[in-house]
Amino acid sequence: MAKFILRRLFHAVIVVFVISLLIFFSIRLTGDPVAVMFAAGEPSQQAIDNLTAELGLDQPIWVQYGIFLRDLITFDLGTSFRTGQSVSSMVAATIGPTTLLAAAGMAVAILIAFPVGIVSAVKRGTVLDFGGRMFSLIGISFPNFWLGIMLILIFAVMLGWFPASGYGTPQHFVLPAITLGLILSGILSRLVRSSMLEVLNQQYIATAHSKGLRSWVVIFRHGLRNALIPTVTFMGVQFGGLLAGTVIIEQVFSWPGLGRMIIDAINARDYPVVQGGVIVLALITVAVNLLVDLSYSILNPRIKAGGSDS
Amino acid sequence: MLLSSSNQAPTGDLLVVENLEVAIPEEKRDVTIVNGISFTVPAGRTLGVVGESGSGKSLTSLTVMGQLPKNLKLASGSIRLNGEELTTLSTDRRRRLRGKEMAMIFQEPMTSLNPSYRVGAQIVEMVRNHQDVSRAEARKRAIEMLKLVGIPRAEEVVDDYPHQLSGGMRQRVMIALALANEPTLLIADEPTTALDVTIQAQILELMKRLQAELGMSIILITHDLGVVAETCDDVVVMYAGEIVERARVEELFAEPKHPYTRGLLESIPDIDTEVDVLPSIPGTVPTPQSMGTGCRFASRCPQAFDYCRENTPPEIRVNDTSAAKCWLYDPEVVAQHHPEHTAA
Ligand SMILES: Nc1ncnc2c1ncn2[C@@H]1O[C@H](COP(=O)(O)OP(=O)(O)OP(=O)(O)O)[C@@H](O)[C@H]1O
Ligand SMILES: [Mg+2]
Repeated sequence: MAKFILRRLFHAVIVVFVISLLIFFSIRLTGDPVAVMFAAGEPSQQAIDNLTAELGLDQPIWVQYGIFLRDLITFDLGTSFRTGQSVSSMVAATIGPTTLLAAAGMAVAILIAFPVGIVSAVKRGTVLDFGGRMFSLIGISFPNFWLGIMLILIFAVMLGWFPASGYGTPQHFVLPAITLGLILSGILSRLVRSSMLEVLNQQYIATAHSKGLRSWVVIFRHGLRNALIPTVTFMGVQFGGLLAGTVIIEQVFSWPGLGRMIIDAINARDYPVVQGGVIVLALITVAVNLLVDLSYSILNPRIKAGGSDS
Repeated sequence: MLLSSSNQAPTGDLLVVENLEVAIPEEKRDVTIVNGISFTVPAGRTLGVVGESGSGKSLTSLTVMGQLPKNLKLASGSIRLNGEELTTLSTDRRRRLRGKEMAMIFQEPMTSLNPSYRVGAQIVEMVRNHQDVSRAEARKRAIEMLKLVGIPRAEEVVDDYPHQLSGGMRQRVMIALALANEPTLLIADEPTTALDVTIQAQILELMKRLQAELGMSIILITHDLGVVAETCDDVVVMYAGEIVERARVEELFAEPKHPYTRGLLESIPDIDTEVDVLPSIPGTVPTPQSMGTGCRFASRCPQAFDYCRENTPPEIRVNDTSAAKCWLYDPEVVAQHHPEHTAA
């Protein structure tokens, strides 16, 4: 087990390193931050040079990257070009809202997808199954932002039930969480359905029935328990997608999260904030995947975490 | 009290099955896959069910258990256990009989146990589903059952997951599970096919011993005529969803009636050699969709005559203890239609 975790940590370090490379160089393709910062006035060449030097942008690019990495190792994410605030504190302020949004979205997705997927599988070929599959299909093909805008139109603008944007009260959660949850539940319910169908065909389900157990006991204790294995794996793999979803939803609902911070920073060419934000997102994803792998080995007694190589 | 020792002396017929018909419901016309099955199992005795793959053995046993696959239906028939009609029971009453009055061992020992639960937990679940006992008592019972089926180190195995056990051990666990509530009827669907020869013999031996101890009746489904000879009292031979011959076991081997049974017996060199699959008879079983009138075995039967191809044979009593679904046993038909007579 310890060996497994160590190996996973090593993988994580490599992933984060590769992402640091990608984000460091790709953000520099967006243009010169100094130009943006002086967009309003007519700066002197001296002022430009001073600012460039102050931000460390006069150094050769590999040196800049080296400094970025060195700071990263000591958990120093640098300071914002724009505000001079430390990126760590900006991340600290935005990570909470993002985590809450992701968790609420996941909760909504689970609450919808499991009942829909289970009923679909158990009532295979009936109207209920058809309804469930239509639901998945619509969920999968709906663009995030569009659903968000529709929900805002109906429930915020027309009905006035919930605020259209912002953060702070439980009501603020409703529309963003439902948007994220609905989108995610499309694909999740399809997976729950197919895993359940596969499991319900297994011989041990017939054994469970032959014990005289009630059908719902067979479905949940013997069926769902085994269907959870592929489902949980999938949710782990899908976690990156969930975060990507929050980035868009944070834009639509003006949610003060990590995603919106990154998007704003990209627009302002605020390199350290973009870099720091993306690295933190990567770390979260890697950590969640590690947790999923661990829970997988708990769910599935045949897998001993130490032994599996994948 | 867990081990109720109130096993009455075997009297009468425990299970009476009459005219079972299982069908796939289709828009136009149902497709019958198991047709007119009738048999009885006397208390404390063993009925063997033999027949090629696809002849309907497993479906028949699932019907008796009351757990047919969802896409199939019981079109007609009667199943009586201890005189009680089961086909008209509510699903809930029917469910309560499963695992208590009747238990089943499935064809595939490797996949019959739930991979996510320890074997002990699976037996405990079975016990507690039917008996009002504490978890600890049920666990004691599980260990007791594992010992009964000859599992060494039962106290440790009880906490193993199925994947930690060999096929033979898993099948023993399945038997322990099936017998945990001392059913009066045990249905064993090829309980030994997947196992190697020595283990096979041990498992059958074990089932016989437990039968004697617990006084239960067994329906033993098998491909293996050697197994039938050693363990069964009565036999029914199935072909294409029907019973084509029934007899006491000695009689079946000494004097098989149906040409299909004869074919089966002739193609084994020696009854004592173990065979995994039924010896092959040239030709194939007709599919349920393609079955028309006439004897279903006619196309493969070395003794078929024209009459057989156009007329479906009824079950004809040959003597007090055996019957065959074959025109050769109807003297009138033979006299009027058999080439040997008509040619003369
Ligand atoms: N759920 C089902 N739906 C449709 N047809 C089925 C179903 N289950 C079984 N059958 C068909 O019914 C026939 C009898 O099947 P069954 O499983 O009872 O055979 P069997 O005698 O047990 O064979 P084997 O020796 O291979 O176990 C076969 O032709 C099979 O294809
Ligand atoms: Mg079978």
